[in-house]
Amino acid sequence: MEILLQLIYSGIALGMIYAVIAFGYQLTFQTSDTLNFGQGDALMLGAMVGLTLVNMGVNYWLMLPLVIVFGLLQGAVVERIGVRPAIKIKSEFGWIMSTIALGIIFKNVAENVWGRDDLKFPSPLPESPIQVFGANVLPMEILVVVGAVLMMLAVEFFNRKTIYGKAVVATFNDRDAAKLMGINTGLVITFSYALSSATAGFAGALIAPLTLTGATMGAVLGLKAFAVAIIGGLTSGLGIIVGGIILGVAETTTGFYISTGYKDVPGLVLLLLVLAFKPSGLFGKTAIKKV
Amino acid sequence: MNRKSFFTAVAGLTALACAPLFTHNPYYIHMIGTIMIYAILLFGLDIVVGYTGQVSLGHAGLFGVGSYTAGVLFIKLGAPLWVIIPASIAVTAGFGALLALPALRVSGPYLAMVTLAFGTIVQILINEMDFLTEGPLGIKIPKPSIAGMQLNENGFYWLVFALMVLSLVVADRILKSQYGRAFEALRGSPVASDCMGVSVYRYKVFAFVISAGYAGLAGCLYAYSEQYISPNTYNFELTVLFLLAVIMGGRKTRTGALLGAAIIVILPKLLDDLELFRIVASTLAVLMIIGGGIGIARKMTTPKAMAVPVLGTLALAGFSFWLQSITDWRLSIFGLMILFVVYYLQDGIVGFVRNLFARKGGSAEDHAFRTIDRSKDAIMVAANTGHVEAGHDLLTAKGVLMQFGGLKAINQVDLHVKRGTIHGLIGPNGSGKSTMMNVLTGIYVPTAGSIEFAGRSVVGRTSSDIALSGIARTFQNVQLFGEMTALQNIQVGLHHSFASNILDVSLHTPRYRREEDASVERGLGLINFVGLTGLAHEEARNLPYGKQRLLEIARALALDPQLLLLDEPAAGLTAPDIKELVTIIRKIRDHGITVILIEHHMDVVMGICDNVSVLDFGQKIAEGKPAEVQADEKVIEAYLGGTAA
Repeated sequence: MEILLQLIYSGIALGMIYAVIAFGYQLTFQTSDTLNFGQGDALMLGAMVGLTLVNMGVNYWLMLPLVIVFGLLQGAVVERIGVRPAIKIKSEFGWIMSTIALGIIFKNVAENVWGRDDLKFPSPLPESPIQVFGANVLPMEILVVVGAVLMMLAVEFFNRKTIYGKAVVATFNDRDAAKLMGINTGLVITFSYALSSATAGFAGALIAPLTLTGATMGAVLGLKAFAVAIIGGLTSGLGIIVGGIILGVAETTTGFYISTGYKDVPGLVLLLLVLAFKPSGLFGKTAIKKV
Repeated sequence: MNRKSFFTAVAGLTALACAPLFTHNPYYIHMIGTIMIYAILLFGLDIVVGYTGQVSLGHAGLFGVGSYTAGVLFIKLGAPLWVIIPASIAVTAGFGALLALPALRVSGPYLAMVTLAFGTIVQILINEMDFLTEGPLGIKIPKPSIAGMQLNENGFYWLVFALMVLSLVVADRILKSQYGRAFEALRGSPVASDCMGVSVYRYKVFAFVISAGYAGLAGCLYAYSEQYISPNTYNFELTVLFLLAVIMGGRKTRTGALLGAAIIVILPKLLDDLELFRIVASTLAVLMIIGGGIGIARKMTTPKAMAVPVLGTLALAGFSFWLQSITDWRLSIFGLMILFVVYYLQDGIVGFVRNLFARKGGSAEDHAFRTIDRSKDAIMVAANTGHVEAGHDLLTAKGVLMQFGGLKAINQVDLHVKRGTIHGLIGPNGSGKSTMMNVLTGIYVPTAGSIEFAGRSVVGRTSSDIALSGIARTFQNVQLFGEMTALQNIQVGLHHSFASNILDVSLHTPRYRREEDASVERGLGLINFVGLTGLAHEEARNLPYGKQRLLEIARALALDPQLLLLDEPAAGLTAPDIKELVTIIRKIRDHGITVILIEHHMDVVMGICDNVSVLDFGQKIAEGKPAEVQADEKVIEAYLGGTAA
């Protein structure tokens, strides 16, 4: 029982990371109907840049905002190079391929800059576990959950309460109408990509002390976060948190009770099943197709 | 295929077959063999990517399934080649069907992710199921033997060559037949495919299964060719390489697949040589500057548009001199190539070259085809199912209710359409006319009510099933298959007239030839009927709007419908075109086809309709002869606004 509880705890921490990345998918999907297939690589870059900064002697807490700034820039680059031309020529194939290509390039660059080996990210908090209801929790895991929730709340607050956020929401509702109302929708889309990469980079810096940091850490995380985004529905904020936790716990328990080699399988199978039976997600609304 | 390209193809293939006679270096023979194996996979991948227009990131996984089927059958059962090849194809095709299940409900980015998840799962399973696959250790397989004779490098080369040519011919024939047209139609407009009786559901699965079969064959040959397989080969990188090959070579061509395969096999080897890469990168930059300069000088492009590629190639050249080792940057180079192809070479190399020549070539082909035209009235054939006694109801809708959330788009509407008449359906915008069409053709399932067509209920049946039972339609916002020619669009409508199966198509049996010829003849007849003579080989997206609408009618007629639903056919047409249209609609009716006409041009409606129903806010407010309806108080109120109640 104690073990199970512990697995659930680390599952929740992991799940929150998925939720944050999935949240990034939602941000761009809402403004432009596109996704960054290199989202996992944005996370990896966040972790790598964070690690470099920490090694340079920057304090962990000071590093986080710097990583966010880096993420903003990286996301804007992805949008300008990979997504904007494709939106212009209305090519779905175009943005899928170009974000994949950019993801590969980022990964390859990271491999060449930081090496192919996994690196250890020093933990900013004590590494001795705390007892909660008889099971161990790492302080870092609590930080991950808190940080993830704060990040999402901050973005939600921005969207709901500020005039810039209203522009984002307006673009989501009807891109053309928003454009006619004088909103620079191109800028909003760029901004949503920047924000999306920033959340991913932030998530990377959060999770890095709990896992090994390396150029390949992003790929599977990005894919599983997509599973979360689908399970939760690409338009439901609550859905991704629930979806993230479901997936995180499923993963830690599979890893423990079956084999760590299979730990990625439940998420992927879940993704296939949800898409096969309820493509709008468990929490999303079914869109009515118009002819 | 015309004679010239046929001879080029034969000459090219003969040269390929003779390759081992000229070089005795096993390195090159193995390399060309690998190219051919990849080409087989790419023929299949092109079906999914080029024809149905979906991004599959699962083909490395399918390739792996093929390889491992071969490997496992060999080490566990010692199975011979003639068992292993069909088994690999069948097992992989099975996996393709499995993959198609979730893929059916989704498309675009979702599908890409689904296939990526599938590919990842396959790789994990191969790694973990070591009782079957030996896990990360991999499997060793010797070259196969035929009739007790162990094949050497050359023998295997010819085996691969033979299978490649076979795959090429079969793929080419399938893709040029009604199957290929169905795949392409899915991409152009899924809704229209369904309404032409080409079930999106069935043909998507079909495309995946065939595509997977090809991947299986390629995987199996790859296992023999490398003589060693391990899970790490079948990773994301390989999948992306395959995609790069398809789009770079050129979608929808077999030459493109061969070229793409050659690029992805040879390029990594070229990249091993830094000196060569520097030369290539510099040449590319120089060419780009010259090309850009010429382009700007001739005003074919703007300096702004050329800035990115020119600077990009310059940066690449500079980068190449800064680099110490190129192998580490291989993936970045592939990434850059993908970006380049996606934005600047969308039709791939083959498409690019073809475009260059097409401008000079002109319409020689078109003239050749025009001679086949028959003056036979194609619609005569179409209508022969409709000659049951006139005057009875062909379509009866009772109490139809269509609710979207709280909105009742159609509220308790009854509709009786008499056989052999033109029935007008009018009403202000948003009154539910198009929704009614969608309900009748099965795109929406009504919340309540019954619809009977020719004695059978329509409710709950799929769109394609309804279409095949005799309801054809056009769309308010034109839904043609843009990249297909006018004739091909109509041939999709004629899909139901084909009885030939994959085997007929692959072997070009007399049955298939007969059906194909008949469909061309009927198609050209229908094109004449709607007055598009001479435009048969024009891509639908290049036709002017009015002609697109006429083409939609021709395509709908190809279905041999008893009932034809026309959704605002006159919208956007000029006055003379409308006159033409009215004549066409009359002719259609005279051939015994019942017509439901939605239209805002009242003179058209009043002029040709036998009966008119008027909808307003989802309810039927009037019905009767055009003149009666025109005088109806309620109708006038709905159109012009009420005189305050």
